[in-house]
Amino acid sequence: MRRLALGCIAASIAALVLSVSARAADVIKIGLVNETTGPNAEAGVYTVNGARLAVEEINKAGGILGKQVELLLEDNQSTNPGTVLAYTKLVGEGVPAVIGPIRSTQTQAISPSVAKAGIPTMFGGTDPSLTHTGNPWLFRCRPNDSFSSLVIADFGVNTLKLKKWAIVHSTDAFGTGGMNALVQALKAYDITPVLVQGYTNNSQDFTPIVLAIKKSGADIIGSYMTNSPDVGIFAKQLRQLGLSTVWVGSPSVITETARNLAGSALYGVYAIADFTPGSSPQAKAYADKYKAKYNLEADVYSSWAYDAVHILAIAMNQAKSTNPEAIRKAILATCGYKGVEGTYCFDENGDGLRGYNIVHNDGGKIGFIKHIDNPKK
Amino acid sequence: MSQALAKPAVPVGGQNNLPGLLLLAVLAIAFPLLPYALHVSDYVLNIFMNSVTYAMAVLGMVVVLGYAGQINLAQAAFFGIGAYAVGLGTVSWGLHFWVSFALGMGAAAIAGLVLGFTTLRLGGHYLAMITISFQQIFDLVMVNWIDVTRGPDGIPGIEPPALFGLHLTDKRAYLLFCAAVLYLLIWFVWWLPSTRLGRAMRAVRDNELAAGTIGVHTLRTKVIAFAISAVLGGIGGSLYAAGFSYISPDNFSFLRSIEFLTAVLLGGAQSPFGAALGTVLIVLLPEWLRFLKSLYLAVYGLGVILIMVFMPEGIWGLMRNTFQRVRKPRAPVIGAVPALNFDIKTQDDRPVLKLENLQKHFGGLRAVDGIDVAVAPGTVHALIGPNGSGKTTSLNVVNGIYRPTAGKILLDGIDVTQLKPHDRAGLGMGRTFQNIRLFQTMTALENVMVGGQRDNNPMEAGGEALVTRALSALHFVGILERAHMIVRNLPYGHQRLVEIARALAAHPKLLLLDEPGAGLNQTEKHELVGLLKRLRGHGLTVFLIDHDMGLVEKVSDKITVLNFGKKIAEGTPQEVLRHPDVIAAYLGEGPTHAAARA
Amino acid sequence: MDVLANNLQVLFQGLALGSIYALVSLGFVLIIRATNVVNFAQGDFAMLGGYAMILFTVGMPGNPELHIPGFAVHVPYWLAIALAAVVMALIGVAFNYGVYYPLRNRSFLPVLISTLGASIFLQNTVLALFNPQPRPLDKLFNVEGVTIGGVFLDSQYLVILGFTILAVAFQYFFFEHTLIGKKLQATSQDKDMARLLGIPVTLMIIITFVYSAVLGGLAGMLVAPILFVSIGMGSTIALKAFAATIIGGFGDVRGAIVGGLIIGVVESLAAYHIPNGVPYKDAYAFLALFLVLLFRPQGIFGEKVSEKA
Repeated sequence: MRRLALGCIAASIAALVLSVSARAADVIKIGLVNETTGPNAEAGVYTVNGARLAVEEINKAGGILGKQVELLLEDNQSTNPGTVLAYTKLVGEGVPAVIGPIRSTQTQAISPSVAKAGIPTMFGGTDPSLTHTGNPWLFRCRPNDSFSSLVIADFGVNTLKLKKWAIVHSTDAFGTGGMNALVQALKAYDITPVLVQGYTNNSQDFTPIVLAIKKSGADIIGSYMTNSPDVGIFAKQLRQLGLSTVWVGSPSVITETARNLAGSALYGVYAIADFTPGSSPQAKAYADKYKAKYNLEADVYSSWAYDAVHILAIAMNQAKSTNPEAIRKAILATCGYKGVEGTYCFDENGDGLRGYNIVHNDGGKIGFIKHIDNPKK
Repeated sequence: MSQALAKPAVPVGGQNNLPGLLLLAVLAIAFPLLPYALHVSDYVLNIFMNSVTYAMAVLGMVVVLGYAGQINLAQAAFFGIGAYAVGLGTVSWGLHFWVSFALGMGAAAIAGLVLGFTTLRLGGHYLAMITISFQQIFDLVMVNWIDVTRGPDGIPGIEPPALFGLHLTDKRAYLLFCAAVLYLLIWFVWWLPSTRLGRAMRAVRDNELAAGTIGVHTLRTKVIAFAISAVLGGIGGSLYAAGFSYISPDNFSFLRSIEFLTAVLLGGAQSPFGAALGTVLIVLLPEWLRFLKSLYLAVYGLGVILIMVFMPEGIWGLMRNTFQRVRKPRAPVIGAVPALNFDIKTQDDRPVLKLENLQKHFGGLRAVDGIDVAVAPGTVHALIGPNGSGKTTSLNVVNGIYRPTAGKILLDGIDVTQLKPHDRAGLGMGRTFQNIRLFQTMTALENVMVGGQRDNNPMEAGGEALVTRALSALHFVGILERAHMIVRNLPYGHQRLVEIARALAAHPKLLLLDEPGAGLNQTEKHELVGLLKRLRGHGLTVFLIDHDMGLVEKVSDKITVLNFGKKIAEGTPQEVLRHPDVIAAYLGEGPTHAAARA
Repeated sequence: MDVLANNLQVLFQGLALGSIYALVSLGFVLIIRATNVVNFAQGDFAMLGGYAMILFTVGMPGNPELHIPGFAVHVPYWLAIALAAVVMALIGVAFNYGVYYPLRNRSFLPVLISTLGASIFLQNTVLALFNPQPRPLDKLFNVEGVTIGGVFLDSQYLVILGFTILAVAFQYFFFEHTLIGKKLQATSQDKDMARLLGIPVTLMIIITFVYSAVLGGLAGMLVAPILFVSIGMGSTIALKAFAATIIGGFGDVRGAIVGGLIIGVVESLAAYHIPNGVPYKDAYAFLALFLVLLFRPQGIFGEKVSEKA
């Protein structure tokens, strides 16, 4: 038994060391750090689906540089340390590029490893600062939150003409960052929110928040909530306690899961979304393909990964190489690519998108209202 | 005094097998050098880094759980305190790395002390829940107190430190440094059990009540163990922060605490080597299983159950047991041992123990109902009475396990009524128990050494003197050759002798014996009588309770008889055993039959 | 704005959540009494109960990656509850044999770790079988709820409160007035003595696990229409329920109920009244625990244990 234990350890160390030697093969492998297990696994499924769909299309169209593309998945257990391990494992396998995480803190966690690895890494975290740390290898395939808050504020104040804001946000990195940005954005209209209310993820009861909103007399709710069950419980309790306040939320309020869970409680809610099936012909086509293949509604967790894989493929084909530096230059040169999330044009920081759609929940279906590009402060 | 004295053959925590240690040493040195020899990826380096820093926190678990027997489900919080000290210190406050590092250790120690002092009176599941609570509150504060902790965004850009002007920016060099720290900590944790403090911890773990009774400050010992564990966690966290250069609250969650606990049980809670091994395994296991794709964590969960079932003492325990089966342990050599010195001051006739109107009530039951007893110096004084007469309760009150309802207890003229058992032991009150209470997993020698290390023990300072004292005590009771055996494996009669030796090592002014004859056969009883007579011969004052009239009669100078919590007779054995009230109390009959029995 | 109505509303939510904690805590207490072990997978029984309901009311899609076929049965709600209870009972038996039985003669720590391993195993197995999307579940009655005096009473919460009262009554009757209940009590108090009296101790412990798995499962089924069915739904509940168990006095049935309600009410009221206090909601429960133990180290109903020499 002892020998077995020692043997196992020795073997594993050997395996770890050996796994390093990258094999030259006639396929191009792209890494994907994914949330397969842990609390965010629900989103992880979509991400894999989106990326796989893109790989399938690319392979059908002849692959990259004449080679077939293969997706290498590594789970990050929905944690920051897990992301670092998953990412460096992929780098060790010798992939020329990686699709990174959609969470801001996970992106933050791998940033030093990305800089060290020196390979293009696409990510979906929306914290604006992520692309401003001087790391040349990070590319964002979603619009960041400095845009999302501007769009929410603009839509609420100028289109809906509502001035008494209540902000509800989860106290994680995404929610707190969004809340701060929205408070800033509203300042431009001389509006101070009547209520800013945070909550810790996976709260079981939102009654105190709903009652606080009631007391504040707010006529519009802006929200940055992270998890779908929280959105569902909050929406239900909001309606149960008789509030029909207008609500403009971050993309999480119109994900398929949230709509499933909350049912009619989310009808009529406005949201901003980087991906909306009705926003462009590309988005429409993608939503149909996704539905046909997976029998699920496409949402943002899948669409950004789909775009990211396509952008990488185009960049490699443009660069005629899988050399990281060549790919990096090609990505930076990408401008005008019509993805399903919008039209990409990478700036020198690595931000590809600057626009959001405004949508609303129309009896359970997503209705597209308008697209706002480059919102101004 | 110093001629040919026995030394402790082996430091207690260690194993005396050279080839195994050599192999370990080679592996240990090779491990952090591996990245230099081979080209390894960042992935492997990260796994090494995780293992090394987590192992430090798990070493803390060895101290608190393995040695002191206290559960701690907040180790990740202490790990986090260290990490945040370095993160905030170097990045937010612009402090030097080593200053932040020291801050982290200090903060972890303070947190451990405060949490320990407020909660370590509780044990078992209560302590588990309290530490879980602390862990959860720590998490919530880290996430929500954004102004200070930077909240869920965490702290990026933590730089590795410089050492003697050498910047450890190369991850391999930093790993080498962390491994060196780890080995130092492993050595510390390995050495700890053979120290006074370490023995006290193990005594508390094995039998908290007995430990307190013979002079171990149990709460303080547990709190120190907790604080050491917290500091080890803090060191691990500090080095982790610089190793990964980014920290955020989710690195230090309840799940991580669980991981630390699992690692220490997996490896073997009693051994620092086991802890290191367990950590490596707990980091590697999910990584190995990645090939199972979506089922890998389910298999990991199953693996944890299987390991618990099939390796009760952890991997290290299993390895050690297999090893010991192959090799016979060498018998330690014990040299000449000086005679036990009782150091009893000839004094006036002031009683060594005086009970004044002592009462102990349990609800309505008056177990001890106002007794007065004076134990004269140099005598053997017995307390007898039928079952339920209040003998054992009296002894427990005398010795501080129970607080009296009323009355006073004077030890050598000092009022000890309000003192805790360990303080009474510190004043020279020794005791044994009816149902033997030894420290089961420790050797006979170690048991007796714990007895000898009470406060104010009038003897030379230093470990060597303590060993000598303990050996002398074992020699006095006649089981010197058993000194290095684990007491669990000793026959019952010998265990009782070890318990007496443990009390004798403390230079007791007063020795309380709780039914010393219980469970002994006739030969052993005979030997016990001899031992008690020798003790009296040395002038030791003994206060004992026992059922066995024959034994009591043979050894006692004076007998006090209790019935229903009250003193009904007192005097020499001859006087007392003929006292009609005593006969009635024992037999419920007239004096004629009793006389016939005598 | 009616201050009283708002406070009553918060109080009601607190009581309802508290009942959930109490139900799960009751399961803790039973196992503690029978085996002196804390079952850290107790929350996962709630999760499994929720998924069993999903299985029988809407079916599951299957996982092509692992070649697990979909499963579609649509049985009436009441029958689904019965079937789910049977599933939970089987899980209870399996849990006894897989997690507890091999370790029955060991101290509480290895068993505790074993139940933690079971928790990881159960959550990730369900994750692989069903996909990770949280699912909604219909309420027991097709009514949103009623509003009385400005206080909205969710019908499902009323069901939960009612069921908790029922469960307590049943448990009292079962343990005090049936032979098997008395045998269970005997087993929990002194296993060796029970064995000498001819009580099949092993069977009694199996029954305990079955009972506690079913109870935990029912708690999950009842709470699912409000908190939804998800992999992690049991984890938070279980921690609070454990705190409730400790506050109430370790292993005391009355304590489980009172402890659960205290935690539910304290966290709701504190979150409502303390300014900016909502994010710290979970902390109040644990602070309450600290305070109770500071003044009553043995919990509310626990007996003071002092070791006898």
